[in-house]
Amino acid sequence: MIKRSFFGLVKPKLQYEIIDEAQAEPVRIKPGKQIMLYIDQPDENAGNALFKIGDPVKSGQKVTLSDGSADYLLSSKSGQISKISPFVGILGKKSTSLTIDVDGESSQSRDESFKSACQAPSLENARDFLAGLPGKPDFNVFFDSEKPVKAIVVLGADDDLLGITNQYFVKNNIIAIKTGIELLCKITGISHAILIVPQQLEQVAGSSGAIIKTVDSEYPSAHPELIMQHMLASEDVDAKSKSGIAFFSSEAVCAIGAAYTTGKFFLEKMVTFVSKDGNKRLVSVPIGTPLQDILNEFNETLNDGDRVVFGGPMKGVSVFSTDTPVMPDTDTIIIQDKRQITEGSDIACINCGECVRVCPANIQVNQLIRFLEAGQYEEAADQHDLFSCIECGFCSYVCESRIPVFQHIKLAKHTLESMKAAEESNA
Amino acid sequence: MHSTLKLTVSHAPFWHNGSSISTKSRNILLASLVAVIPGCYQYGMAAVGVVTLSIASAILWELLINFISRRPISVGDGNAALIGMMFAMMLPATMPWWAVITGTFFAVVIGKEIFGGIGANPFNPAVLAMTILMLSWADLFDFNAALLNYQFDFKAVYPLVLSKTFGASAVDPFALMDLLFGKQIGGIGSTFGIGLIAGGVYLILRGFVRWEISFSFLVGIFVSALCFNILNPEAYAGPGFHLLTGYTLIGAFFLATEDSSSPVNFIPMLIYGLLGGALTVLIRNIGTHIDGVLYAILIINLVNPIVDKIRPKALGKGV
Repeated sequence: MIKRSFFGLVKPKLQYEIIDEAQAEPVRIKPGKQIMLYIDQPDENAGNALFKIGDPVKSGQKVTLSDGSADYLLSSKSGQISKISPFVGILGKKSTSLTIDVDGESSQSRDESFKSACQAPSLENARDFLAGLPGKPDFNVFFDSEKPVKAIVVLGADDDLLGITNQYFVKNNIIAIKTGIELLCKITGISHAILIVPQQLEQVAGSSGAIIKTVDSEYPSAHPELIMQHMLASEDVDAKSKSGIAFFSSEAVCAIGAAYTTGKFFLEKMVTFVSKDGNKRLVSVPIGTPLQDILNEFNETLNDGDRVVFGGPMKGVSVFSTDTPVMPDTDTIIIQDKRQITEGSDIACINCGECVRVCPANIQVNQLIRFLEAGQYEEAADQHDLFSCIECGFCSYVCESRIPVFQHIKLAKHTLESMKAAEESNA
Repeated sequence: MHSTLKLTVSHAPFWHNGSSISTKSRNILLASLVAVIPGCYQYGMAAVGVVTLSIASAILWELLINFISRRPISVGDGNAALIGMMFAMMLPATMPWWAVITGTFFAVVIGKEIFGGIGANPFNPAVLAMTILMLSWADLFDFNAALLNYQFDFKAVYPLVLSKTFGASAVDPFALMDLLFGKQIGGIGSTFGIGLIAGGVYLILRGFVRWEISFSFLVGIFVSALCFNILNPEAYAGPGFHLLTGYTLIGAFFLATEDSSSPVNFIPMLIYGLLGGALTVLIRNIGTHIDGVLYAILIINLVNPIVDKIRPKALGKGV
């Protein structure tokens, strides 16, 4: 954990992790006995769902709860569904978890339905087949007729601290990125492709054929919203409307390229695994592998009170079980010892202004937090720029009162959004 | 398979830079000692008594309010001790015990707790208490009378009284270097200029105090005192004198910078400080009060919410 420097006159700086020149090859984790898939859909029609317990699943097969749904995952292994249970995620999001008992290595079978589709690459079959690839590419933005996408931005930099997953692909697999970008441009008809990389990787990235932009090494400069604001302002895109740009991670682009050229899905997720002692390793795991399998591989033991974070230290999500599986968008997994955890508090804001000076979105957090703590979310949104927040987590990181500012902000946004949704459905 | 492992689950971010209110209070207390210890050396055990009584009673008042209002015990954050220290630094060493305890009551209870505790006070609690006391028992703050029984190896007259009554020429005997090294009478912790500056610079470098406020406060005093001095050098003392006497330095580094009552944006901080400095000199030179720092700080505390509205536009908000 990076502590406040002794001299506090200057703004705190958090540096992104830069991939080593001699980064060790990723450790491949062998598939365990089970994989788990979390599908972003409540298990409402449990009786007539597409899948039932005991159904066989092939590797690469789309797993979803209803036909034609955009929420699906691709099973990384073949096996039999052994358990379907509802699962409540962060902010009460209802999803369904499917447990698949993995077949033995010799009896693995592959789903072939993509084979024919890959002959004629198109946006439709990308949306229908590829959204479950590692990096979780989102093709839905291309189908929004109101806000046409004008540029494709590939993130070759990691947007949270400690992670080196995206950089790894730029450094070691730039050819695959090139193929992926070419394919994306072809199927979308958009010629404007930008590859965002840290300065150190600028040279390597040059051979990708895309326009190269660099981000500096200070958090949160690689945050998608800031990239839009600062770097693309000069480009021919409307920086204010979020949907003018489609973001892809470099890992997703590689996987898309590979899927169309080979007709097969590559369903192993690259994860930066940070153990308790701060040791950082790249691991390649089949999507759906429970965390416990990774812990076993590295002989990492967890005790009561430790914390496991999926995602980076600033924006990630902490999980409450070691059964939690690696998802297509899990770039980083961090294990924190109990002693490394700073607890939040309910002390009032002392108005020191650290958060205001550190906020990349220029929000008056000291004012905002007073409204949020009082539950006055509408005032917060109207007068105190609640929705300008890009969710970088810096305010909570520097807070002297240790107020969970970021959590307040997330809760306020969620509450307002669900109120709005309720109003619309009643109208 | 239910595991019995109980992981800590919380919201992002999962890192914290380790700062806390108690660290901040501790450091400010430490920095203030650089000025308070020479003060205690100068005024003897009486000063030690005032300082310790002030800190102790401030903590006890807060504890009492914690109990009465059934709120969690908050004295651990060191803010009450800090208020007590700041208050004591401004007092003459001969302050009677009842006035110290009354003063900390005004500071902690009236100045801070009734507004809702730490972070909610519109005025600097110590300054508010001082001004209440000064208006109520003006005699106690007549430094010349209060320190009559002390023997000093320097001119034992409160410098600001001299300049106020007899004009600029009366303060000529005060060499600026002597003033800087505390050879003047005044509050326990507010005369040893070099110590206050050292403490202030330490706090600024560590980031516990915003340099913008201290700097612009001093600039405000310097510029406005210089203007007066140029206009009428006989009536008004020079800027150096104003910078080193009265509560100027403690005001600039310790009082005006109090978190809750000062702005947080860059331009507002500058305005706030400049205004405080200019008001100080105006009150000293034209007003009826001898020292203007405390009143000036109360006034800038008052305008803080308004000036702090000058701020950069948030991301994504119109031009």
